[in-house]
Amino acid sequence: MSPSNGLVCFTNCLLPLEDGSLIEKDLWIDERQGTILDAQKTFFIRQERPDRIIDLGGNILSPGLLDIQLNGAYGFDFSVYEGDDDAYRAGMQLVAEKIVETGVTALVPTLITPNAYQTQEKSLYPKLLRLLKPFSTANSATLLGWHAEGPFLEYAKRGAHVPSFLLAAPDGIKSFEEVYGAENLADSEDWLMSSDGTRIGVRMITAAPEIEGVMQSIGELDKRGIVFSIGHSVATSDIATGAVQHGARLITHLFNAMPQLHHRDPSIIGLLGASPHLSSSFSPITAHYPSLPPYNPAVSTSPVKTSPTGSPPVKALSRAASTSSTTRSIHAKSEAFDDSMTPPQTPVLAANRAAKFAPSGVVTPLSIGHSRKTSRPELHLEKGQIADMEFERPFYGLIVDGIHSHPNSVRLAFSAYPEGCILITDAMKILDPNLKDGIHEWRDGQRFVKEGDKLYLEGTNTLAGSVVTLDKCIRNFSRFTGCSLGEAIKCATYNPAKCLGIEHKKGTLRPGADADLVVLDRQGNVVSTWVKGREVWSRPQAA
Amino acid sequence: MRLIIREDPAAVGEYIAEYICKRINDFGPTAKKPFVLGLPTGSSPIPTYKVLIRLHKEGKLSFKHVVTFNMDEYVGLPRDHQESYHTFMFREFFSHVDIPPSQVNILNGNAIDLIGECNAYEERIKSYGGIELFLGGIGEDGHIAFNEPGSSLASRTRIKTLAYDTILANARFFNNDISAVPRMALTVGVGTVLEAREVVVVVTGQRKALALSKAIEEGVNHLWTLSALQMHPWALIVIDEDATAELHVKTVKYFKSIERVQEEVERNQAELKANGVKGAGVAEQQVGSME
Repeated sequence: MSPSNGLVCFTNCLLPLEDGSLIEKDLWIDERQGTILDAQKTFFIRQERPDRIIDLGGNILSPGLLDIQLNGAYGFDFSVYEGDDDAYRAGMQLVAEKIVETGVTALVPTLITPNAYQTQEKSLYPKLLRLLKPFSTANSATLLGWHAEGPFLEYAKRGAHVPSFLLAAPDGIKSFEEVYGAENLADSEDWLMSSDGTRIGVRMITAAPEIEGVMQSIGELDKRGIVFSIGHSVATSDIATGAVQHGARLITHLFNAMPQLHHRDPSIIGLLGASPHLSSSFSPITAHYPSLPPYNPAVSTSPVKTSPTGSPPVKALSRAASTSSTTRSIHAKSEAFDDSMTPPQTPVLAANRAAKFAPSGVVTPLSIGHSRKTSRPELHLEKGQIADMEFERPFYGLIVDGIHSHPNSVRLAFSAYPEGCILITDAMKILDPNLKDGIHEWRDGQRFVKEGDKLYLEGTNTLAGSVVTLDKCIRNFSRFTGCSLGEAIKCATYNPAKCLGIEHKKGTLRPGADADLVVLDRQGNVVSTWVKGREVWSRPQAA
Repeated sequence: MRLIIREDPAAVGEYIAEYICKRINDFGPTAKKPFVLGLPTGSSPIPTYKVLIRLHKEGKLSFKHVVTFNMDEYVGLPRDHQESYHTFMFREFFSHVDIPPSQVNILNGNAIDLIGECNAYEERIKSYGGIELFLGGIGEDGHIAFNEPGSSLASRTRIKTLAYDTILANARFFNNDISAVPRMALTVGVGTVLEAREVVVVVTGQRKALALSKAIEEGVNHLWTLSALQMHPWALIVIDEDATAELHVKTVKYFKSIERVQEEVERNQAELKANGVKGAGVAEQQVGSME
C-alpha cells in the first residue's frame, strides 16, 4: 500500500450551506494543507480521491464556530495584563486550545475598558493589542486579532466599563491612535505583515458614534480594514444611521447597553428595520457631535474641551463626577448590562439636543450614500420584493443565553433582519463548560454562584456576566426563534465571517477555506472539532 | 434482445444495478484486465446509480478495477458547470464509489481540437479492448447518447448538433433559457455503442413510450436510433410499466414470458455448471441473449 494521499472524505453527513440550508453531501479536505477541497476538481483535474473516508453517522458537519466577542475563558481574562508578556501569551494559548470543546475554531479576543487600564497610568491598549496578533497552535482555535470594546463609549451606557476611563476622541483618528497605538491601527496589509506573515486577521472597535470625534473617525478606521461596531451608545436614529453610512458594520450586543426601542426614535435597534423610504433622502448629522448628556442628574458632563496649547488630545470624561457613580454601579459585573436607566429617546428630547448642538457643529450633508446605486423612486407592484435600499443594514451581535436578551427579543431581531444576525457569547473569563454549579472564587475575595448559565455574585442576585458557550447559543437560538439548526449555525459561522470580511477562509465550507470544522449531532451538541484538517477534540465516549 | 418490465423506475434501477453488479463480479476484473463499462447521464439512470452506490457501500461491489467511458458531453460548457456531464457523473456516481479518477473517461467538450478529442476517445476505448457493457438511456425522440434522429447507424464518436427537441427538453436545466442550452455535444456514435459486447438500456416513463415502441416494434430506422439495437447480439432493455403504454399487448406478454424462460435456462445452466458438465461455461457467456 502506498502512503495515504492526505485527503479525507467526510461522508454520511449534513452540510450547512451559506444560505442556511442543510444538505446531504460529502466534504473533501486536504489534511496536509488544512483546507477544504473542490471535490470535483480534485477528482477530474488532480486525478485523486481521498484515501481516508470518515462516516459521520448522519451528523452535521459545520464550519467551525466563530465567536467575535469573547472576553476570556478558563480563568484567563484578555483584558488583564500582569506585567508579563509570556504569562499573557500562555493565557492566549490556554483559551485557544481549550475553547475548541465548545465547537469554536476562531474567535476575536475582546478587551473591555476597565481592566485594560487597571492600575495603569498609561493606557495598556498598545501593549495588549500588540500581543493580540493573530495566533494559533497546531491544536488550537485561531485568535483572529482583537476587539477593543471601549474606551470611546457613552457614559450612560457604560455597562461594566469603569467610567473614569471612558474617553472622547476630540482629534478624531489621532485620538484613536493615541489610545490604541498607531502601529495597531495601521492599514490591514501592514498590520498583517507585522504578524509573521499570517493569512488573515481581524481588528474590531466598539465605540459610541455620538462621542466627540468618533463619527468622523469611522470612515478612516473602515478604510484601514478595522471593523467599526456601534455599542455602549445612546445614538439617535439619525446618528446611528450616519455611523452606518460612514462604514459601521456591526452593532455590539444588540439590546444591551443602548436605548430600548422607542417607536418614535428607534435609535440603534431601529437600524434592523431601516426603511427603504428613508434610505435615499436621509442626511444625518455627521459632524462634530459632542457627547450627550448622560441622563443622570447626579452627574454633569460637559463636552471635552481641547486646549489650544496642546494638552493631551485624549481626555477622560468628567473624571471627578464619575467617582460617585462608580460606587453606585459596583454590582453591575456584566460588561454588557446597563447600569443606569435607559434615557428616553423621544423625538422631543432629540429635538432639544439638536437645537442645543446644532449651532456649534457644522451639519454637513452626507456625501457617501448618495452616489450609490439608485433605489427605486416609484412604488412597485412585485409582491414579496422589497424596494431597493441604498442603505445596507449592519450586522448585529446577540447574546443568546436567554438572560441578556429575552427569547422574544431574539426572535424579533432575527425576523427583522436574519442575514445580519451574529451569535456571540460575550463570555467572561469564568467561562468553562466543565465548571460545576456551585460557589467559586472570583477575584478580590469575591465569590460567585454558578447556576447553569447564570452567574450571581455570592449573596446577591446580581448577574455577574455571561458564561454561555457558543454551541449552546446555537441550540438556544434555534429554540428561541424556531429556525432550523442550519439557520442557527449560519449565525455563528457564515454571518460573523461575512461581517469581518473573512468568509473566503472562515465560517464556510467553500473550496479553499480553512478546514476548521465542527461535527454536531442533530440536537446541536458538539461531537468533535477539527482545526486545519485535524481532529483536535472529540466528545468523551459515554461510560 | 431481451425486454425486462418492472413496476416503476426504482425497481428498474434495482434490476439493472443488480445485473451490472453480477456481471462485474462474474467477470472478476483485475488491474490488468479491468471491466470496461459505458455510462450515460440523464434522469433515467439515476435510480440505477443509487443502487450501485448502495451495493458498493454494502461491500458487494468494487470499482477499483472498472474503467468507465461516458457517452457524451456538451461542447463549450465549463467542466464544473452545474449542468455539465462531468458534474453530473461526479455528483451522482463517481464521488460515492471507489473508482480511481484515472480510470474515468469523459469526452472533453472544451478541447481545442474537438475532432482529435473524438478520435482519441475511440482509440482509448480500443486500447482497453472495447467496452464490455454499455449502459444507456434514450431521449423522447429515441436517441441514444446524442445520436439524434437521422444519425448514421454506423456513426463513431464525433461532434453532433443537438436536435431542437433536445434543446427544448434540456432548457429546464438552464433556467428555461433556450439560448443558454449548448447547441453542440461530443457523443459516441451508434456504431460505438453497437460495438460494445453487451448493451443495457433503461427506458422509464410514459414520455418515452412512443420511442420505445418505434425502437422495438418497427424496423431498424435512423430516425429512431435506438432501433439499431435490433442488430446487436446481446442487448437488454429494462423498462417500467409506464413505458409500455405504446407497445402492443402481445409484445408485452411475449417479453414477459421470455423472462420466465430465461430464468429457467439460467437455473439449468447453473446446475449443469455445478455438476461439472462440459461446455456449460461456454453457454453461460451468452446467457443474456437466449431468446
